[in-house]
Amino acid sequence: MKDKTKNIITTFGFIIVIITILILNIIKPDETISKTERRKLAQFPKITEKEILDGNLSDKLEKFAMDQFVGRDTFRKIKYYFNTNILQQKDTNKLFIKDNSIYKIEYPLNENAIKKSVQKIENIIKQYLNNNNIYYSIIPDKNYYLDDEHLKIDYSKLTSILKNSLNDYHYIDLFPELSLEDYYRTDLHWKQENIEKIAKKISSEMGIQNNSNLMYKKIELGNFYGTYYGQTSANINADKINYLTNDIFENCTTYNYETKQHGKIYDLEKYKKSIDKYDVFLSGATPLISIENPNSTSDKELLLFRDSFGSSVAPLLVENYKKITLIDIRYINSKILSNYIDFENQDVLFLYSTVVLNQDVFK
Amino acid sequence: MIFSSIIFLFYFLPIVMAIYYIVPKKMKNIVLLISSLIFYAYGEPKYVFLMIFSITATYIFGLLINKYRNTKYAKMILFSSIFINLGLLIYFKYFDFIIQNINLWLSSNIDLLNVLLPIGISFYTFQTISYLIDVYKNEVDVQKNFFNLALYISLFPQLIAGPIVRYKDIQEQLENRNYTIEKFAIGIRRFVIGLGKKVLIANLLGELINIFAISTDKSVIFYWLYAISGMLQIYFDFSGYSDMAIGLGSMLGFKFPENFNYPYIAKSITDFWRRWHISLSSWFRDYIYIPLGGNRVSSIKNIRNILIVWLLTGLWHGAAWNFIIWGLYFGILLIIEKKFLLKYIEKLPNIIRILYTNFIVMISFIIFNGNGINQILENVKGLFGIGNIPFTSTESIYYLKSYFVVILIGILGSTPIFKEKLNKEKIRKFINVLEPLVLMAIFIISTSYIIDGSFNPFLYFRF
Repeated sequence: MKDKTKNIITTFGFIIVIITILILNIIKPDETISKTERRKLAQFPKITEKEILDGNLSDKLEKFAMDQFVGRDTFRKIKYYFNTNILQQKDTNKLFIKDNSIYKIEYPLNENAIKKSVQKIENIIKQYLNNNNIYYSIIPDKNYYLDDEHLKIDYSKLTSILKNSLNDYHYIDLFPELSLEDYYRTDLHWKQENIEKIAKKISSEMGIQNNSNLMYKKIELGNFYGTYYGQTSANINADKINYLTNDIFENCTTYNYETKQHGKIYDLEKYKKSIDKYDVFLSGATPLISIENPNSTSDKELLLFRDSFGSSVAPLLVENYKKITLIDIRYINSKILSNYIDFENQDVLFLYSTVVLNQDVFK
Repeated sequence: MIFSSIIFLFYFLPIVMAIYYIVPKKMKNIVLLISSLIFYAYGEPKYVFLMIFSITATYIFGLLINKYRNTKYAKMILFSSIFINLGLLIYFKYFDFIIQNINLWLSSNIDLLNVLLPIGISFYTFQTISYLIDVYKNEVDVQKNFFNLALYISLFPQLIAGPIVRYKDIQEQLENRNYTIEKFAIGIRRFVIGLGKKVLIANLLGELINIFAISTDKSVIFYWLYAISGMLQIYFDFSGYSDMAIGLGSMLGFKFPENFNYPYIAKSITDFWRRWHISLSSWFRDYIYIPLGGNRVSSIKNIRNILIVWLLTGLWHGAAWNFIIWGLYFGILLIIEKKFLLKYIEKLPNIIRILYTNFIVMISFIIFNGNGINQILENVKGLFGIGNIPFTSTESIYYLKSYFVVILIGILGSTPIFKEKLNKEKIRKFINVLEPLVLMAIFIISTSYIIDGSFNPFLYFRF
C-alpha cells in the first residue's frame, strides 16, 4: 500500500470513528442503571452558575460521558481482554479469574478498619448485652483458600485482633470448615446448599440442640451471575442459585423493620425483580429483619449481628430458635438499636466476613 | 480539559475539527481561539480571565516595546512586562511556598493565601516572556493582531502542558497554514500514539506507584520496581502529552517543535538534557543561561550560571524543596560532567554510559516524586537494601509478574527500536497496511481504559 492510501485510510477512519461515536452518544437514550456493574449510572448534571464557576461541572460531565458511553460494557470487555491477555496483568480492577472462578483481592489488611470494626462490636456489647451468651465468628473470603502466590490479607493477624479484644467471648472458628467449592464462582458469597456444615458447627459451639436428621429440599432457581461477574466483564459460565427449604422454613414468617412488611424467608418476588439474585435470601440488604418460627420447640431467641453472608445461613439456624433477629449495622446506627429491639437474654452471634471487617463500614 | 478524557475525544475534538474544516480560511483562527478558550475554561472557568489579562498585557507591552524601540524606554517597558507576567506566576505558584518558609525560618505565623494554581500558567507565562524578549531583541515582528497573539498563547493543543512553543516557531503559521491529508494523518498517528503512551503505559504504572506508596510489604525488588516504574511513568505521561499536542497541532495545520528525543538512550546527563523536555531546557538556555554570559565567562561565573539555571528549572517544576533539590542535583552533576567527568565517560562503552545516565536520572525522579526528605532517603536506601529490608516479598513478586509486560513495553518503547525496525524499506508496504489498523486498535483500547477508569489526571497538569 502506498503512503498516500495509508494516509487517506487513517484520516477518514479516524474521522468516521469519532464522528460516529459522537452521533451515537447523542442519540442513545441515557440509562439509569448498569446491570453488569450493579450501580446507578451518572446522569446529565444540572448546569448552574455555581457548578460552572467551581469547576465541578467538568467532573460531572466526564463521569456522565463515561457512564453513558455507547457500548460501555463492550469497551469494558475490551479493556479486560487486553489487560489480562496482552498486558498479562494478574488482576484488573483488583479482580482476577482462576479456574473459571472470579476473585477479588482484599489485600492488604486494613488494621485500622478492623480495630474500628471491633471497637463498634465492643460498644454494642457494653451498651446492650449484659446478660447474654455472646459468640463471634469470622467468615473468610474465598481468597483464603487459594495458594500462597496470590495476594491475601494476613488472616491470622485479623483473627488475633478480634480475639485480643473479644477474649471474654466464645470464638467459633469457621476457617477449617470451608473450601473453595463452598463459594459461588462469580460472587463473593457462600452457597447456601454447602453451608449446612457451618450451621451445625455454629449450633454445636453455641451449645444448642441440633436435630441432625432434619432434611432439606434443594430448590434450584436458575442461573446466577454474581457481583464479580459484572465487574470483570469477562466471559464466565453462570453459577446456579439454589435454596434449602423444608416445612419448618415454609411456616416461618419474616418482618422487615425498614419496610414494615411481613414475608417469607425466601423472597421470590425480590429474586425476580432484583439485579442481585442473592437477594432471594431474606430480601437482601436491610438494617433489621426478624424470622419467627412458630414450630420452635424452644423459647430461645438469637440476635445475629451480620453482613450479607448471614442472610443465607440464618435460615439454617432457625429450627432451634423461636425468633432470630438479624441486625446489619452497616445500615443502622448501633446507638439507636434499642428503639427497635428489646435486649434481654437472647443468644448473640457476631458473624462477619473478612471482606466487611477489612473496611470501616459499621455505623 | 485533558486529552485523555471522553469529553475531549468524543465531543470537543470532533465538533471543533468539523467546524474548523468547514469554515472559510479567514474564520479558522477565530474558531481555534474560541475553542481554546472553551478548552481552558472547561476545567477552570475563573482563570480564563487571568489568561486573557496576561494575553492583553503581553499584546500591549509588545506594541509599546516596538513603538519605543531604540529608546531608553524600551528596556523599561520590557522589564515591566516581564515583571507583570512573572509576578502573576510567582503570586499563584510560589507565594504560599515563600510564606511557608518565612514562617518556618522566622517562626512567624503569616496566613497562607491558599490560591489554586491556574492550569498551564507556567507554560504560557514562559511563552509570553519569550515573545516579549524576542520582540525587544527584534528577532520577531510584533503581532499587531490581538486575536493572533491570543491564539498563539492560548492554542489548546499546547496550552496546558507544552511544548513551550516559541512565537518565532509559529509566527508564520498563525497567519498562513497549509492543510494536507498527509499532515492530518501524521497528526492522527502522533496523537493516537501519545494517547496510548499516556493511557496504556503511564496510567498503569501510576497505579503501581500508588500501590507501592501504601504498601507495608516493601522489599529491595519493590523499591527497584517503584524507581523504574516512576522513571517510565513520567516519561510516557509527559512525552505522551507532547505527542498528543504535536499531533493535534499537525491535524490543525501547525508544526510544533519536538519536546523529547529518546532521553533514556542518552549517554550522559548533558546528553539527557538535550533530549528531555527540549522546549523547556532550550528556553532556559536562550533566556537565562546565555544572557547571564553562558560559558563565555570565567569558570566560576559559568558554574554560577549553571546553578542559577538549574535552581530555576527545579523551581519551575513546582513550589517545593524536592524540586529545588532535584534541579540543583542536575546542576551539580552537569557541572561535574562539564568540568572533568565527560571526557572520561566518553571513553566508556555505550551500554555503561546509558546505564550511568539512567541510574542518575532514576534517582532524580525519586527526588522529584518524593514527599519530604525522609521518604526520598527511604526510597533511595531501599534500592540497596539499607535498613533491614528484605530482598523480596510476596507483594513485590506479585506486582513484578503483573507489571512485567507493561514495564518491558515501556523500556522498549523508550528506545528507537520500534521506529528503526518499522522504517525499513523492505517492510514498508506491509507496515502501511497494518498502520491504520494498529492505530485504530490503540485508539479503541485506550478509549476502553478511559471508560473503565474514573480518575485520569496528567502528571504535568499543574505546572
